[in-house]
Amino acid sequence: MNKNDIKLIFIVLLIVILLFSLSLLRKEANVANVYYENDLILKIDLNINNTYEVEGYNGKVVIEVLNNKIRVVEENSPYHLCSKQGFIDKSGESIICLPNKIIIELPNNELDTEVS
Amino acid sequence: MKKFTRLSMLLALSVALNIIEASLPLFNDYIPGLKLGLANIVTLFIIYKFDLKDAFYVGILRVFLVGILRTGLFSTTFFFSLSGVLLSIICMYLSKNVFKLSIIGVSIVGSIAHSTGQVITSIILLQMTSMVYYLPWLLLFSIPTGILVGIICKQLVKFYDEVLLFE
Repeated sequence: MNKNDIKLIFIVLLIVILLFSLSLLRKEANVANVYYENDLILKIDLNINNTYEVEGYNGKVVIEVLNNKIRVVEENSPYHLCSKQGFIDKSGESIICLPNKIIIELPNNELDTEVS
Repeated sequence: MKKFTRLSMLLALSVALNIIEASLPLFNDYIPGLKLGLANIVTLFIIYKFDLKDAFYVGILRVFLVGILRTGLFSTTFFFSLSGVLLSIICMYLSKNVFKLSIIGVSIVGSIAHSTGQVITSIILLQMTSMVYYLPWLLLFSIPTGILVGIICKQLVKFYDEVLLFE
């Protein structure tokens, strides 16, 4: 390792801290949009605790809302990445289930306050 | 001819490393997609002991072979890997020759470029801007994995030079 390597590590750590602090600034979302193959199929209110079932490419996908957070509980895919991801609650976050072609997206709050 | 044989063996090695790596999940429950980047050992080695053109050949062929064997040709994963490999080769070459980093630094740059390339591709291909928030995790882990790959490659280069002396 030489001097430039140490500089590089410092710069990377700085960028990491910057990006982390940016993601802390995000607000909590109050609605979630569920897409199947880019079509909006369900709009979920995060203020109501409930479970929802949607049809994915590999069968049904079970979505749960609990205390303003949303997660995928059950789905049929090789690695179960989206159910392992757990809860999300910040706007801009999303759960993507590629094998099921399902995307759950938490949109930015500004847009939704205009609608409601 | 000798160079050609060596490059083909390195290509086979990188494909094997890629497949071994896929069976070693590393905190995959928390950060999907995180891996050691063992195949990068080969790319890094080629940049040091051969030249840029060879690194591109082996890198691109590796992505195609892994695509055929494991992930599926022209699938989303295929384009993720392709963009990751291309960006990491370019960045590693620049950091070696322009910024004069040591082999460990070059390896970290390769690791960072690989994940950044994949995040950029996912934003373009899947329209997922939220992937940006995933980037700091990948960057953070690319430091230890980059150092590990760099150390392994350093030993490999040393060993290769010693063997060549006796040829």
